[in-house]
Amino acid sequence: MKSQNRFGSYGLRALVAGVLILISQPLLYLVIRASEKSGSDIVALLTRQKTFEVLGLTLALLCIVVFINVFLGTAIAAGLHYVRIPYPRALFVATIVPLAIPSYVFTYTWIALIPSLQGLWAAAFILVLSTMPYMLLAVSISFARIDSGLIEVARSLGLSKFAVFTRVILPQVRRSISAGALLSGLYVLSDFGAVSLLNVETLTVSIQNLFKSSYDRSAAAVIGLLLFLAAALFVSLESLVKGRDFESRGAEGFAQRIRRVNNLPLSILTTTVLAFYSLLAVVLPFYVLISRYLQNPSVVAASDLATAALSTISVAAMGAFIAFLLSLPLAFLITQGASAFVSISEKVTLMAHALPGVVVGLALVSFGSRLGPLYQSVFLLAFAYAVLFLAKSVASTSAALALVSPQLKEVAATLGKSKSSVTMQVVFPIALPNLALGVLLVFLTAMKELPATLMLRPTGMDTLATEIWSFAAISRFNEAAPYALLLVLIAAIPTFILTIPRNAKNEYAKNENEKKVRISQ
Amino acid sequence: MRKSLIAALVAGAGLVAGLGIWAAGNAGGGSGQVKELTIYSGRSEEFIAPFFAQWEQESGIKLNIRYGDSAELAAQILEEGKNSPADLFLSQDAGSLGAVSAAGLFATLPESVGAKIGSQYVASDRSWIGVTGRARVFAYRPGSIEILPSSVSDLTKSEFKNRVGIAPSNASFQAFVTALISEQGEKFAKSWLEEMKKNGAKIFLKNSAIVEAIDKGEIDLGLVNHYYTWEVSEALGRKIQVENGFFAPGDLGNLINVSGAGVLATSEKFEAATELINFLTSESTQISFVEDTHEYSLITGIKSPEGLPELTEIGSPKVDLVVLEKVQRTQDLLTQVGLL
Amino acid sequence: MTSLSVSHLTVNFGSRTVISDLSFELSQGEIASLLGPSGCGKTTLLRAIAGLIQPTSGAIRFGSQLVGVSSVVLPPHKRGTGYVPQQGALFPHLTVAKNIAFGLDRNSHTKSEIAAITHEMIGLIGMKGMEERLPSQLSGGQQTRVALARALAIKPKLILLDEPFSALDAVLRDELRTEVVGLLRELGSTAILVTHDREEALVSSDRVILMRDGKVAQNGTPEEVYEAPISPEIAASTGDVLILPAQQSNTGATFFPLSREGAGSAGSETGYVVIRPEEIRVSTNADAGAEGTLIHIDYYGHDAMLTVSVAQSATPIRARVAGPADFTVGQKVYLQHLGPVRYFSRQ
Repeated sequence: MKSQNRFGSYGLRALVAGVLILISQPLLYLVIRASEKSGSDIVALLTRQKTFEVLGLTLALLCIVVFINVFLGTAIAAGLHYVRIPYPRALFVATIVPLAIPSYVFTYTWIALIPSLQGLWAAAFILVLSTMPYMLLAVSISFARIDSGLIEVARSLGLSKFAVFTRVILPQVRRSISAGALLSGLYVLSDFGAVSLLNVETLTVSIQNLFKSSYDRSAAAVIGLLLFLAAALFVSLESLVKGRDFESRGAEGFAQRIRRVNNLPLSILTTTVLAFYSLLAVVLPFYVLISRYLQNPSVVAASDLATAALSTISVAAMGAFIAFLLSLPLAFLITQGASAFVSISEKVTLMAHALPGVVVGLALVSFGSRLGPLYQSVFLLAFAYAVLFLAKSVASTSAALALVSPQLKEVAATLGKSKSSVTMQVVFPIALPNLALGVLLVFLTAMKELPATLMLRPTGMDTLATEIWSFAAISRFNEAAPYALLLVLIAAIPTFILTIPRNAKNEYAKNENEKKVRISQ
Repeated sequence: MRKSLIAALVAGAGLVAGLGIWAAGNAGGGSGQVKELTIYSGRSEEFIAPFFAQWEQESGIKLNIRYGDSAELAAQILEEGKNSPADLFLSQDAGSLGAVSAAGLFATLPESVGAKIGSQYVASDRSWIGVTGRARVFAYRPGSIEILPSSVSDLTKSEFKNRVGIAPSNASFQAFVTALISEQGEKFAKSWLEEMKKNGAKIFLKNSAIVEAIDKGEIDLGLVNHYYTWEVSEALGRKIQVENGFFAPGDLGNLINVSGAGVLATSEKFEAATELINFLTSESTQISFVEDTHEYSLITGIKSPEGLPELTEIGSPKVDLVVLEKVQRTQDLLTQVGLL
Repeated sequence: MTSLSVSHLTVNFGSRTVISDLSFELSQGEIASLLGPSGCGKTTLLRAIAGLIQPTSGAIRFGSQLVGVSSVVLPPHKRGTGYVPQQGALFPHLTVAKNIAFGLDRNSHTKSEIAAITHEMIGLIGMKGMEERLPSQLSGGQQTRVALARALAIKPKLILLDEPFSALDAVLRDELRTEVVGLLRELGSTAILVTHDREEALVSSDRVILMRDGKVAQNGTPEEVYEAPISPEIAASTGDVLILPAQQSNTGATFFPLSREGAGSAGSETGYVVIRPEEIRVSTNADAGAEGTLIHIDYYGHDAMLTVSVAQSATPIRARVAGPADFTVGQKVYLQHLGPVRYFSRQ
């Protein structure tokens, strides 16, 4: 349906364009720096063997991690949802908890367990552990929205349970699988902590090495642009694979409780896999952190811990809030329907997401240092977080807004509400819980950020991440451990909130008993 | 519902704005009496903070210290250029200092600043002053090696096969290789690296890991900086079976790198910054460096750290520290050889 | 309340024409049913009137005010139309009372006025005591009532109902419909009721607008549309029909299987005759009419549909008889047609 309010649509587009310009600043920085090199130098840099090796390694890592996430992740999510297992909620939470652990902490703990850990497969292992929760969250939310009526009909038509899964359920979650794959892949491209510690030189590590060793930011920028191209390629590939958009039905298409498959071997297999995953991703890292600390307990000033924690929380919260605000124009535009402009804007946002913290950090150092007092301010750091994680915010905000049925908006319009009133009085109140979840997700991610934080934080301010880093840099792991533990514990709170099941139908019921009784006159 | 939503949005916006303004207000410096100084320190907080605190007390000037990796901070300063808020850059190695100096971002320091520091540890254009010395050594497990090596070239021989550890990604090792290239030529350096690799040299990510491995007996010898044996022992909380050894005098394996400081040309607090440098290079502070962080003082006559020979006795090679800036070539070479 | 005028309305979605050159008028206070098969454009027409979609060409006027043309469009929130969509679409985050009051603007009503109107509406729909319930706690019928109250609360010029009763069971449907229509008449509202239920269309409204393929097929009172359809297809859309081959002589006499004249003669024009099952009298008296054999009985309780095979017609004749049927299958019955003979030539 065409929007009646033409001006509103253009105004929205102008806002989106503005946001895109803002987040393109790092890309602009890369282009400017790279252009300081002569053309022949750039070609030489791009065609040297090292570059091919690095590119190859990056793409290999990308493919491996995404592949494992898609297949293993979907299987695990399916097991969580559809197979009879003990304590399904607890197991689900356990698989999502790794979101609270920064990849560098992960890697440190695993290196502590296996000192010889390094190389491509080690990096793949760590990155799968780090990114699987994104896939699980995305797919689980989709599973929960499937209309159980469809499943019942399919079963009655004689399809086996497996056939129901592959022919009825999977096609509907295809979109969220690809969204999870996209997020995982972009994370792999932008990750620095894990790969550098494991001695795998991906594009991001190469960027960092180049600017540290040669202080030649142009070379680093050229590689940065190469990274951007790789991301662009990945994003385009994903949109091809994504498949058709199923019209999201909104909160009306609710899911009732689905009966789980009662197959003992399958249950045992699923539970074992889940337990094993939790062991690798949660239990062992925690064990290492705690035991390292206890091995050589250092006196940690509670005030230091508290200040770092407070700084971490406040800046991450600001960043999440700014990301939310920036995501609104595009999210609204997305709900108004597909168009070339929307598609391109989404892609640009995603590609910017692939830029690693070091690039965004440098870009904002370059740009921000001209801003006088704004430079190295909490505000600029929060803005850096917003730029880094905008894609996540756009995805969750638009998903939340899409849950509001268009019919509700139409009715509100006929009742005399202008577009902005409809947004404030209908859309936001209904979408609020899911919007909050999106903000939480960005908040969580921002708390763990390191490279941009190091460069942009106000001098003298430390976050938990920077404290961990500064102790680890001088190998004082036992002193880093309390900060790491605190970070994980604090991050576990929003992580836990993200796993609370959202049942749209029950959301507004005041009385538990009443909602079960459908009074028929 | 609507009212509370608007209220929340306004509050959020207000919070954001307020924090930003507050943070901004904190960053500004006033003219007249210097109240604050901004330092970018590549030296880790754990070791240098007590010294800074001491000076803060004595001078009454508040220090805003930004801790980070020396190379990263140097790159940040280069990126900030003339807009850098830093007044002083304290670096862990000479290479980073050289990079900032080469970009013309340091102010020239008068002769009175850091006067006691030996001239070979000061930039020839007086853009930066060395503060402490960091000697390259070989660490080894006593009793495991019959004849100690007298040159780095010895390490490529069969008696050291599979017994040596190096950390090619480490800045200090790279500084050593840079000096090797500069003094002996790229061909020599390349063949030495290749032979080390063929001789089964084990690769570690960190110097501390090398020392720990020697202690455990995984390797017998490693190329590290002199203070790592002390650092690892402190970190583990016990004595370790590792000692430091030096190559023959003049061998490049005995390279002495420095940590140093320079004042940013754009700083408006030149005097205060140079006073801080003077403090860091004063005798009492230098003695504290030796005792507390186990580093070498660069003032002739001050004793060396416990258990280590005097700086003059080591027989370090004569290398102009300026050359240490050229790390890119070193990294390329290491990559070619396959050590990076 | 003003009248509604739709003239030459066309609505295209891309290359698909959903509404094509459609015109009709409603006077103030009239209740019109919009009847037609699925996909004929009823909902689209309603949405165009509400302002939710933009016509490609044509004009919509409320009284003398032009509200919708392709280039000049009054946005939906300024049209003052009440809209009750198919599933009520109550705001899930608001109570019944707040839903009803949603359209009442705080700028033009005081708080007490709003409370008064809400109270009035709650009474009107018979839901006293349920003001604080949430939509998820209401049954389908209750939701429809609240949706209606919500639309009526703003005293709309025109109220548009899109199959509001379709989700309800038969008994509830009848009751609610009677209530709603009564309410609309009481308030003197001008209304358009979209339905695919032909009986509903006939019983609820002053005017039936039959839509087919995006056009108005016939527009008239229920009696007109039922008794005098302009084509056999239209006739079929308003009730059960019997379409029999027929001939019309140039004198105007129509011959068809049950006619008194009997079969026709050659040289006449051939076509169809449309009669309704209830127009056929069934008797066991041999003089009463054409002979036929009863082959099937469909018993509906309040009436029965008899299927009779007669010699003169290839298709069996279906006749409706009231009340308890004393007929048995296989019985010989005699049929007579009493009612208008609607002849349509073969076209």
